[in-house]
Amino acid sequence: MIQQIDNPVVEVHDLMVSYGQNPVLWNIDLTLPAGALIGILGPNGAGKSTLIKSIMGLIEANSGYSRIFDQELNQVRNRVSYVPQRESVDWDFPASALDIVMMGTYHHLGIFKRPGKKEKALAMTCLEKVNMKAFANRQISELSGGQQQRVFIARALAQEADIYFMDEPFAGVDMSTEKALVSLFQEMTAKGKTVIVVHHDIYSAGKYFDWLIMLNMHLIASGPTEQVLTEELLTKTYGGKLSMLTDIGELIKKSDFNPLKS
Amino acid sequence: MEDFIYFFSFQDPNVLMVVVGISLLSISAAMVGTFTFLDKKALIGDAISHAVLPGVCLAFMLSGNKNPYWIVSGAFITGALSTYIISWISNYTKLKEDTVIAAVLSIFFGLGIVIMTQLQQTGNAALSGLDHFIFGNAISIVRKDLLVYGILALTIILVILFFYKEFKVMVFNRSFAQSIGLPVKRLEFLFNSLMVLAVVTGIQAIGVVLMAALLITPAAAAKFWTDRLDRMLIIAVVFSLISGIVGAYISFALPHMPTGPWVVIVLSLIAFLSFFFSVKKGVLTKWIAKRNYQRKIHSDHILKALFGAWEKGKQGLKTENIFNIFPGKNFKTQYSINKLNKKGYITENQSIIKLTESGLTEAKRIVRLHRLWELYMTEYMNIAPDHVHDSAEKLEHIITPELESKLDRNLNFPKADPHHSIIPRDPKKP
Ligand SMILES: Nc1ncnc2c1ncn2[C@@H]1O[C@H](COP(=O)(O)OP(=O)(O)OP(=O)(O)O)[C@@H](O)[C@H]1O
Ligand SMILES: [Mg+2]
Repeated sequence: MIQQIDNPVVEVHDLMVSYGQNPVLWNIDLTLPAGALIGILGPNGAGKSTLIKSIMGLIEANSGYSRIFDQELNQVRNRVSYVPQRESVDWDFPASALDIVMMGTYHHLGIFKRPGKKEKALAMTCLEKVNMKAFANRQISELSGGQQQRVFIARALAQEADIYFMDEPFAGVDMSTEKALVSLFQEMTAKGKTVIVVHHDIYSAGKYFDWLIMLNMHLIASGPTEQVLTEELLTKTYGGKLSMLTDIGELIKKSDFNPLKS
Repeated sequence: MEDFIYFFSFQDPNVLMVVVGISLLSISAAMVGTFTFLDKKALIGDAISHAVLPGVCLAFMLSGNKNPYWIVSGAFITGALSTYIISWISNYTKLKEDTVIAAVLSIFFGLGIVIMTQLQQTGNAALSGLDHFIFGNAISIVRKDLLVYGILALTIILVILFFYKEFKVMVFNRSFAQSIGLPVKRLEFLFNSLMVLAVVTGIQAIGVVLMAALLITPAAAAKFWTDRLDRMLIIAVVFSLISGIVGAYISFALPHMPTGPWVVIVLSLIAFLSFFFSVKKGVLTKWIAKRNYQRKIHSDHILKALFGAWEKGKQGLKTENIFNIFPGKNFKTQYSINKLNKKGYITENQSIIKLTESGLTEAKRIVRLHRLWELYMTEYMNIAPDHVHDSAEKLEHIITPELESKLDRNLNFPKADPHHSIIPRDPKKP
């Protein structure tokens, strides 16, 4: 079940990504609708983070491309926001929650300019939206995991983008915060923004998302939630053995070069 | 003493020049070093500071004198080469980065020593003072050197100030920096160049090897005092300045004394003191806080014992009995009794200790907190009444008045605790 649409916000075309000798994404080909809350599902190591990173231009693809708003990423960077997995940074960095959220305003500022009152006010509103205003001046290592996650989301909000890629924004977040964040995202999509979220819970996925992507090294499904969330596709994503892809991966690892890199 | 006044009055233009030079290089090293430290690149800094030696020696060999332009260029080239080789080898092999760094560091440094020994055997008179580049001698800085090293240091300082926010976001979260379109690769290249330059500016005054310490130690020490990047930069700069100027002064007062080792000694002292005394994270500060807390607990327990007696209608306890409650802690108990006496919570008369009015209020407060917390645990946390004592025993010492009134409100101003003991209240307060 892979549904392609016209005038997509995101188009991924025949994307193939490897880490060195290790192929991780095979021929991903998908299109995503605007103004939708979109979930990416898949088991650990399925390549969910890799897909987002590749769309964000953080890792090079072996072949294929992706386009956002029908343009090259570099043309539209100011309209795109990325929330990395929380574990990807060292939270012992000397900064307050507010400092981090302020980073979301940097790309509007340009080089040499310092963030001022306006940026600070924006950062504060964003902290308020994720219910973290009281922690604005707290050193980031003194925040709980869920609070750190909310700081990251506030930073993304401060970017005032049109499309958001979030890598596991609900990891370590309690149920009531998760619900609050989902309704925040729904508000955003109602205003025409697109929010793409890596998610791990199949049950809530059915309730939260308008559109689902199921991934396990290759694309298993992409389409409206009610059509994608079927027993068969879930088994394919989570239960099915991909022995063939794993075997080929092993074979490539043993050889002297990666034939998929052209 | 005369030396001291002479040096720090800066009446000698040569002294002034040395101080200006060492200040600039200390500032630039501390600023670059703060980011190096936060980016966990301390080892690379160390490698660079070793790798500039062959460059210095080669420049010597080719130019035949101590011309600073040659020296700086030579040092920069081999320093930069080492970082390039390190990242190249770690990217293209499976070797761990620290292994690669250690190997590259020793190879470059070994090479430098070989060339230097060769040079010294040729006996060229112009070569005397080459060993200054190993441990540094600030006093050997002359006008021509100051111009080169000073301009370099100033450039580093300005670049860091200009790119402050870019470096900040890059060091904290590279992938995010990249995602907002910052040229991370180029920034990283710029930063690596700054790191090499920062080492190069110090080779004459501090010496090649010890520059690594001037790069990293101020930042490491500053981290103990603050958790904001801007303040950390300032504190690191101050630490670095102090050590740089003291080192220069010692080289001035005691001729032939190399500057670098003294800078490092002063820096280590600062780092050591920061480790013990810093307001937030110092070991000693923590230790004192813990000891004070334990003393308070002990006093609280004595008050509670007296309160227990009071509840049973007794007019106080024998001093001897109090000591018996805390076997093996006579010293602590005596200390606490003295303290409580001074505070006016208790009086001691003919070996009988009694609570005063204010002591009774304080004791009631502690017992109240204990019993309120026990009640909260049983009512709200569903913990069995016989399991709540230990936690209450700990929390009674730290619950603040705000929390107390919140507890009281939540529990609707209860009269008794789960064990049916009365929760003592102050009749004066509602
Ligand atoms: N930097 C890297 N270098 C080498 N291999 C990597 C790297 N990052 C990821 N991989 C490999 O690529 C595969 C996909 O990783 P990815 O992080 O995209 O998975 P994921 O779906 O996000 O998993 P998770 O649910 O655990 O976050 C994994 O097998 C992983 O081992
Ligand atoms: Mg992931």
